[in-house]
Amino acid sequence: MSGDAARSLGKGSEPPGPVPQGKIRVYSMRFCPFAQRTRLVLKAKGIGHEVININLKNKPEWYFQKNPHGLVPVLENSQGQLICESLITCEYLEEAYPGKKLLPDDPYEKACQKMLLELFSKVPSLMSSFIRMQNKEDGPGIKDELRKEFSKLEEALKKKKTTFFGGNSLSMIDYLMWPWFERLDSLELNECVAHTPNLKLWMAAMREDPTVSSLITDAKTFQGFFRLYMQNSPEACDYGL
Amino acid sequence: MSEPRPGNSSMSCRQRCASGLRTTGLLGAVFQNSSLGQEGAQQYLEPTAADSHREAPVRAEDWADPCREMMAGDSSRTLSKGSCPPGPVPDGVIRLYSMRFCPYSHRTRLVLKAKGIRHEIININLKNKPEWYYTKHPFGQVPVLENNQCQLIYESVIACEYLDDAYPGRKLFPYDPYERARQKMLLELFCKVPQLTKDCLVALRCGRDCTELKATLRREFCNLEEILEYQNTSFFGGSRISMVDYLFWPWFERLDVYGLSDCINHTPMLQVWMATMKQDPTVCALLIDKGIFLGFLNLYFQNNPNAFDFGLVY
Repeated sequence: MSGDAARSLGKGSEPPGPVPQGKIRVYSMRFCPFAQRTRLVLKAKGIGHEVININLKNKPEWYFQKNPHGLVPVLENSQGQLICESLITCEYLEEAYPGKKLLPDDPYEKACQKMLLELFSKVPSLMSSFIRMQNKEDGPGIKDELRKEFSKLEEALKKKKTTFFGGNSLSMIDYLMWPWFERLDSLELNECVAHTPNLKLWMAAMREDPTVSSLITDAKTFQGFFRLYMQNSPEACDYGL
Repeated sequence: MSEPRPGNSSMSCRQRCASGLRTTGLLGAVFQNSSLGQEGAQQYLEPTAADSHREAPVRAEDWADPCREMMAGDSSRTLSKGSCPPGPVPDGVIRLYSMRFCPYSHRTRLVLKAKGIRHEIININLKNKPEWYYTKHPFGQVPVLENNQCQLIYESVIACEYLDDAYPGRKLFPYDPYERARQKMLLELFCKVPQLTKDCLVALRCGRDCTELKATLRREFCNLEEILEYQNTSFFGGSRISMVDYLFWPWFERLDVYGLSDCINHTPMLQVWMATMKQDPTVCALLIDKGIFLGFLNLYFQNNPNAFDFGLVY
């Protein structure tokens, strides 16, 4: 049984069989923000898929055949083709599957979404260093840097005068940024958006999106996961199951 | 990491560099089930009948209006601080803000040429940037594309993708979504090369030891060599030159003039790829003369703001 809420596969597990026709498989981890991007796109486009969660603290030997560094997300289709890197997986799904278009058709608007993503690019590593920080004194410095990055996004939203980063409806760029904003609460980083009112409104609007809300994780669960993950516990990835 | 043993061409690159080979998370995926190297599997790069009539070669009169060429061609003097901002982009043309020796801009110039896109080039003095240039790019970087609707596109890869999307003629990216994804994964595999080559160049020019840096660069080249070995195709994208080859090329063209030619000593397929690339008409047309490049580098490392115009006749 392989779903969003399935126990992760670890060392010693049997490798999964081939991907059934008509479905695509995503190797994931319930709390990974990069894998969440892919799951958001799969859901938003209504793509028939199966999820195999990987225990990132106790990786199955067979998983290194899918990705030599054992990272998630990885897509595998029924032809056995593998696609890595969250952004590449999301663009692949957009191009390979019909249904709701998440990227604009216009080449310039498409380029704008990619340029916007560049503005966001420092956020994942900043949040990662906040989670991993050894000295509490480093906290204020990281928060300052985060605030700086968030102001850039605030400026972009102000200039566009729309609710979402791609216009008045949700599109790819919003899904690609969302997972990190979902984690602000659990990391007690909400103060970093205190002076970015448009960004706060965007976050509220995102929470109302059916796709986003169907995949949302609450702050307490994140905190439980972070605690175990930072202790390198092999139970971390299955927290809450 | 120990130096690879020379002269043992029967071993694969992986074996030669075994002690130092560091695969990225992408090699596995990139090797899987691609149709590349298989007979009859190149359709995704073949233009359709409808495309082929649009693939007109670039004619001299299409290239640039001779009156404009003096101020806005591949070989025009840079604009610096105190210069007047250029006017709007004329109809039927796209403008590229560039610098003759910049590898990132080089990518965009290759795509413009390969697709036969009418364009004008404004070179920017990167050590003495015009104030108005910050309205085109927040940090004053090149390349930037500007069209006649005043739309600006920056970041070299985004600019190249935009051109492939927006203009007709031969598509440089494959049509097949998986093959497109594969080209992007290959680009990830390459992503450390630009910074590494720059670091090596700076170290060499400043008389610092760069043994470690060069060893790291060689390891990155080994990853790319493995891909070519596995695929057994002339180009990274298959049997025809495509986007990924153009995106890689500028740094390989610079290996010689940067003093890093020995970094491909043990990657024979990469050497063959480079030789093949040099025969491509687009690559060939934009090849930079070694003497001029060296002149530029000498002035650049002396912080001379005239570096960027080195080699221009007028």
